[in-house]
This record gives sequence, C-alpha cells and structure tokens, in this order.
Amino acid sequence: MVAAKGVHEVEDDALAAIDYCFERGWTDGLPVVPPERSRVEAMLAMEGRPPETVIASHPATGLDCSLQGAAVNAVMAGCLPEYFPVVVAALEAANEPEYSFHASTASTGGSAPLVIVSGPAVRELGMNSAGNVFGPGNRANATIGRAMRLIIMNVFEMLPGVSDQSTQGHPGKYSSCIAERAESSPWDPLHVEFGYGDDISSATVFAGSGFCNVENHGGNTPESILDCIGDAMASLACITIGQSVVVLSPEHAQIVAGTGWSRADVCQYLFAQANRTVEVVQRVGKYVEREHVRQGTEHVHRGFGPEDILLLVAGGDAGGHSCFIPSWSRTRASIMQSKPIGVCIDC
Amino acid sequence: MSIELMDPGADGDGGPTRVTAPRLASLDGKKIGLLSNGKANAELLLRETAARFEKEHGCSVVHFIDKRNAGKPADPAYLAKLAAEADFLITAVGD
Repeated sequence: MVAAKGVHEVEDDALAAIDYCFERGWTDGLPVVPPERSRVEAMLAMEGRPPETVIASHPATGLDCSLQGAAVNAVMAGCLPEYFPVVVAALEAANEPEYSFHASTASTGGSAPLVIVSGPAVRELGMNSAGNVFGPGNRANATIGRAMRLIIMNVFEMLPGVSDQSTQGHPGKYSSCIAERAESSPWDPLHVEFGYGDDISSATVFAGSGFCNVENHGGNTPESILDCIGDAMASLACITIGQSVVVLSPEHAQIVAGTGWSRADVCQYLFAQANRTVEVVQRVGKYVEREHVRQGTEHVHRGFGPEDILLLVAGGDAGGHSCFIPSWSRTRASIMQSKPIGVCIDC
Repeated sequence: MSIELMDPGADGDGGPTRVTAPRLASLDGKKIGLLSNGKANAELLLRETAARFEKEHGCSVVHFIDKRNAGKPADPAYLAKLAAEADFLITAVGD
C-alpha cells in the first residue's frame, strides 16, 4: 500500500493552473489539462480496484505507479475517463519484465511505447484506425499515447537529458497509440489472435524506434508489396535481432491477401526477405557472432523468426503506404507485450 | 477561490534503490567487485579502472560479474554475492 501524494491548492483559474503545471515541470513541453481532483476521481471511477493499487514499477528508479498516479497523468494527457482502462492495460503490459521498462525508457536508442489497441474498444472509444492513424486528430489515440509518456516522466522520473538519455528520440515519444482496422483486415483481429475472444479488447505495447514508411503504388502482387517491406526491415540501419511491427494499409492488405496469403504466410515471407549477408553486416561493423548463432540461419535476419513480426492493418482507404517499425535497441532488449483491456486476469 | 490539483508524481520515494552506500574511510587494501553491463567494452573499461585502484591503493579484484543484458537489472543473487564479498563495486557502461 502506498500513501497518496500531495495535493496542490492553486488559484481557481484554468490558465493559471496550466501555468502552474509548467512551473512544476509536470509537462512534456505541451500544455496539460490541470489534474483537478474531480477529474482524477472520475478517471479512477472507471477502475474497480483501490487507487493505491500498484500497477507498474520501474526497475531502476524503484518508483511505483499506482492507479492514482496513472489517473492523474491520464487527466493531464487529456484522456476521457473511458480511455483509462486502455492506459491501465498498456501500463500493465509494459510492466512485464520482458518488456524491459527501465532500458526502454532510459536508453540512447530513444524508443516510444507504441500502444496498439484491438477489439471492440476501438469503436466504443471512437479511436482512429483509418486515415492518419499515426497522426493527429483523434482524442483517444492522442491522449492514451500521451498518458504513457507523462507517466514515464512524472511517475517514473525518466526525464529527457537526465535519466532518459535518448540520443535523438523521435516524435512518437510525445504520443504513440494506434488502433487496428479490423474491418479492413483479411485476417483475425489481434485480440482474437491473442486468444482474448471476440468481446475482449487488447492493448499491445511495443518499444518502437522511428516509423519507416513503405511506399509502393505500382506493385499488384503480394511479393511486390512484401519485398518493399522486407527490404526496409533488412536495411543496414534497422537490421537487428529485435522484433518488428508491420502495419499494412488496407490497399496493400487487399493485394497481399487477395490471393489467399494468411498472416502466417506473410510473416514467413517477410522474415525470409529481411536478411543481409554476414559479409555486408560485418563490413558496417554491426555483426555480432553470438547473436547470429542464435538465429541459426545462413544470413543475418531481422528477428529470430516469423513470430517476431506483429502484422496488422490500419490506415486510410487510399494510398499505397504501409509502414515498418523496428524495435528499439541494437539487440533484443524488449519483447512486446499484450494485455486484455478492462479485465483483471490475476485478481 | 482555489482548486485542488493532484500531484502526478510517484507515491513512494523509490526505496532502497535511492539510498547511497556508506562511504569507505580508506580505499587501501580493499576488495573490489566488478559488475559489467555486458556491452562490448565494459570489461575492458572495468579492468583498466580496477588496475588503477590495484596499483595506487593495493586493492584486489575479488569478483567480476557480467550481467549480459544491459537493459535489465542485475540478478539479486549476484548483487548479494558482491555485497557480501567485496568492499566496493565498480560498474560502468562500456559501450
């Protein structure tokens, strides 16, 4: 059990309260919604557990995030109360040891926790899974991702230039949350694939580096589209033994699945394509023999196998733009994690 | 009139991870533990640093532990062994 932290009495003036949050160093550089008590209580009302329940801990700072701490930061991010279960699920996913909460928030690699929401919650919360899915314009997408960043900064004190030593970081560190466009996907939605069932939504968290756009407007076979994605995955800039997220646009998904390719077929093909010869990887100084031995392949591939690729569909109807998001880290320091939303399996 | 803002910080203080170890009165003849983060040059950096202590203060290295994964905390069993057998620890990011 943890005690509630301080309450700050400030002038009943919205602008003054926003300024106060800046003065206290509580923001990501953008204005926040002042975490006024009633807003926090409304957020907490979405949870069945007591506010002091610890839902995540930071291995290096030793700091705990309670539901209360998560709720305060969710308010500040601009979340509506109904978004809170998604924030909680994403945070609990990131708390799994294999996700590596410390390194992913401290490393020079500069990752962002990309939250991927799948299931009925996408529609219920009005999330954007279509055009501009990674971009601005949707409150749920924008604020759920931002809540994760504010929690990392305010609760865990992973602060840019201090404990967060990102060499460059990337824009997704402000907010990185997308929704799966299940209605345009030829395959089972992720939440079903994960075994949560039709009615249970899921939040997946992936420590992602910067976004790599994959453009192909001329290809009209699965191979032509997937060769472009595989090439991006195999780039010398990105090739590591880490995991990958591949988000196909509806147009690309239609081409790829139109001839019957399953999700497993696609991932198998991408893994096979995403390789470089040992000589080339050695030449640029990135070859690590012990990692290559673990792969058990002639060439150096991205990841350990097809199962290291999370494949989903999202984006607008028009446009031959998909994307590949490489994992953070030069090796395999973080493994993506998923949790059901609003369902407590352990309690 | 005022409103109440809830503090967005952590509830606790981080516990033992934020407590500084007691300072040694002297380095002379002390036993050194080395904890490598597993990165490419960590061992080189640690060995070179320890050599300075050995030469200048008569210290000796009693343990070298490589935690292999820079991104994860050291195994508590390793840390307990180091704490029991070394007078001080040197750790470093040898990238």
